[in-house]
Amino acid sequence: MKTIITVVAFFITSLLVAQTQFEQGMGNALKMWGEGKSAEATALLERIALAEKGSWLPNYYIGLIATTDAFQTKDKEKITALLTKAQQVVDIETAKDEKNPELMVLQAMIYTAWIVYDPMTNGMKYGAKAQAIYEKALIIAPNNPRVVFCKAEYEIGGAKFWKQDTTPMCEQVRKSIELFDSFKPESAFYPNWGKDRAEATLKTCGGK
Amino acid sequence: MKIFYTLFLCLGTVLGFAQTKISGKVTDTKGNPIQGANIFVEGTYDGGSSNEKGDFLFETQAKGNQVLQITFLSYETIKQNIVIESYKPRTYILKESANTLNEVVITAGTFEAGEKAKVTVLKPLDIVTTAGSNGDIIAALQTLPGTSTVGESGRLFVRGGEADEAQTYVDGLRVAQPYGASSQNVPTRGRFSPFLFSGISFSTGGYSAEYGEALSSVLLLNTNDEESVEKTDISLMTVGLGLANTQVWKKNSLSVNAAYLNLQPYQALIPQNVTWNKPYQTLSGETVFRHKSEEGLFKLYAAFDVSKFNLVQESINNPKNTEVDMNNQNFYLNTSYKYNLGNRWQLFSGLSFGLGENKIGLHVDRLHNTEHAYHLKTRLRKSFSKQLKLTFGADYFNTNFDENYNVFQTTDFQYGYKANIVAAFAETDIMLTKKMLLKTGLRFANNDYLHQSSIMPRVSFGYKVNKTSQFSLAYGLFEQAPNQAYLKFTNQLQNEKAAHYIFSYQYNKGSRTLKTEFYFKKYDNLIKYNTRLAEYNSTYTNLGNGDAKGFDLFWRDGKSIKNLEYWLSYSYLDAQRDYKNYANKVTPSFAAAHTLSLVTKYWINDLRSQVGFSHTFTSGRPYNNPNESVFMNGKTKVYNNLSFNWAYLISQQKILYFSVTNVLGTQNVYGYEYANTPNTNGIYDRKAITPTADRFFFVGFFWTISQDKKDNQLKNL
Repeated sequence: MKTIITVVAFFITSLLVAQTQFEQGMGNALKMWGEGKSAEATALLERIALAEKGSWLPNYYIGLIATTDAFQTKDKEKITALLTKAQQVVDIETAKDEKNPELMVLQAMIYTAWIVYDPMTNGMKYGAKAQAIYEKALIIAPNNPRVVFCKAEYEIGGAKFWKQDTTPMCEQVRKSIELFDSFKPESAFYPNWGKDRAEATLKTCGGK
Repeated sequence: MKIFYTLFLCLGTVLGFAQTKISGKVTDTKGNPIQGANIFVEGTYDGGSSNEKGDFLFETQAKGNQVLQITFLSYETIKQNIVIESYKPRTYILKESANTLNEVVITAGTFEAGEKAKVTVLKPLDIVTTAGSNGDIIAALQTLPGTSTVGESGRLFVRGGEADEAQTYVDGLRVAQPYGASSQNVPTRGRFSPFLFSGISFSTGGYSAEYGEALSSVLLLNTNDEESVEKTDISLMTVGLGLANTQVWKKNSLSVNAAYLNLQPYQALIPQNVTWNKPYQTLSGETVFRHKSEEGLFKLYAAFDVSKFNLVQESINNPKNTEVDMNNQNFYLNTSYKYNLGNRWQLFSGLSFGLGENKIGLHVDRLHNTEHAYHLKTRLRKSFSKQLKLTFGADYFNTNFDENYNVFQTTDFQYGYKANIVAAFAETDIMLTKKMLLKTGLRFANNDYLHQSSIMPRVSFGYKVNKTSQFSLAYGLFEQAPNQAYLKFTNQLQNEKAAHYIFSYQYNKGSRTLKTEFYFKKYDNLIKYNTRLAEYNSTYTNLGNGDAKGFDLFWRDGKSIKNLEYWLSYSYLDAQRDYKNYANKVTPSFAAAHTLSLVTKYWINDLRSQVGFSHTFTSGRPYNNPNESVFMNGKTKVYNNLSFNWAYLISQQKILYFSVTNVLGTQNVYGYEYANTPNTNGIYDRKAITPTADRFFFVGFFWTISQDKKDNQLKNL
């Protein structure tokens, strides 16, 4: 009996340690990203991803960091490398769960980055794909603030080009801010970004 | 207490691992340090990044046998088995991963269009947005170097080769009847609508051993692997209407389209050089079904069309002229399956079937012919490593052609043939170094109708000088059964043969591409006959021969001027042939020495419009003037064609499209038809062969209905 208790206790302790290690690792990685050290953050996340194959979060953040960086660089070769990397990790996680709205938003962002990369060539192809994936994500998670906001932001881009009314999209951005406020992350490192950008977008929308 | 003690001990084991230091250095293949590489023990959080000197150091709690992994963006990952306790610091060399920019590819003879291409010369959209192409894949390809503009035919003539020397393949399988129905000197167009194809590879020579029965060129069309958006497209055009629908469910997608074209309004508005009794009409439908699974991709493509027209064929030799009544039906089916067998083996297997039927009335005579053509293919590919790939497979072509010629109220002539061609091919890709690629292939074919076997070796080599430029060389022997026009009368013939020698240089940086090629082609066993036209009682031999040499230049630039994309093609061709009923070896009538094309596309953001101009110039083409003693000594005047198009995006889903071919109305002459007998003054009269109309214009309105508001039919134009 004692032995069983001992073993159980040992097991729980190990789990606790592992849990702490995951949280510590993720915390460190996201802190490094916050400090602008994308490469280091990615390196740590890669290690975590390989050690914790049950969690989609490390790969999600690797993809998010790479895609965000791709939007910010002008070096075409680097953009290709970053987006290829982002696509790789998204593919890994999408294969495990193809209905994860956060991964779908990230996938749509990768498509958007490809459009920015070469609008003439990619506009037609990825434009339709990005839109389709946002539509799908909205059906799965109508109250996910990132789905609502990113979709609206993407559509504002299109509407500006067509000189169309952006009021309905701005309305969605406004709605997303409410959703951001009431959003409860499922776990400690569950994606929880976007509110500040939504607020900034709403300002340029001419909204209150 | 005892429990507490045990627990403490356990905790100690968990928390107080012994730390081992792991260090080393990371460099690239040239010995330069790599900063920022990620070095770690697989399955743990333990790792570090290399510093500016490439050095790294970290501590790990892991023990025993472990895998040390080193990753760095755009470099190949290293996985090294280590034993933690006996680890010794060392230097790791990372290799740059092969990607579009640094990998050597063989470019000799090949123009790629599509998403998967290394360097795209044409983008899929270009087919439809090139002024003058009017949505015809073939017409768009004629703006590339190596092709001759032969306006009265509309087919592809590549580097001094006849139109039938270019073979079309859809998803790796032959298309026996790639062109629509036409009559003499009335141009045809490609049968396939461009928007179903995402990849187009056009080879003007030196192609892979996988492709047979093509003497000069192969055109490889690949249907889209997937459609992601459900939609309905409606097209309203001055020449007809079209409807298309795409459905997507699970891992499947189905596209269906149907179109009806009638050239009557156009023929009524624009003066025609031909008398049309009944306008050109065609009803066509296409469908593509795709099923994607983890390991493979199944595709089915089917196309059906019926075309009709009735015109008066004017001829200098027939003052009454001939009424031509054309009824053509065509069906094409193509199914293929690509399957990953695992362990880097890939299987491709496919079947194509083409049925072409023509019912032609020539004044009061009737010509009826039917062709059934099958192609079966199986191909296996194994990637042993990045450096070595092996491809091998087998082909089976079956052709069954029957023709009936009924001379009014007198005789019925029946003839035709059945031919089986069995072929096998093997090819290896060897990457000698990262800069050098060698491809060697061998093709064997047996034609049971001609009782002939042949072996065709093919070799190509690519050398990458630096990131932006590379050289390629290609050599190959190519054989093809003679044209149906001869085979239906005799089997006492051999394959026609060609040898290609190509030297190519390509420069590519961002959206600028320069491509130059020098080539030499030698033809043997070309078909000759001893009558004015190829007839059932002509004597046919393989005694013809020929050669072609030339220079191709291509320059595409999408960077220098904002919103402007343009390309320039120039071909110099020196072709000589002794074939058909030629008196001696001369430049054939389709081969102009100089061909120049300039294609421009300008995007006007404020007008949400793309405006395009294309101009094609060719020097004079040879023709034979029987009034002169020297054979084939005439030269037509130069050919000029300026075309214009304008696509206006009304909204996301509505496009208005307008195009005019030969805006300036240049009176082009393709050649001359001479009388068979001299007139009373002893002179052979002639009639110019000209376009059926000097201009072509087109207005279309395209509307896409989908839940998704971003998709439109721009690529359908």
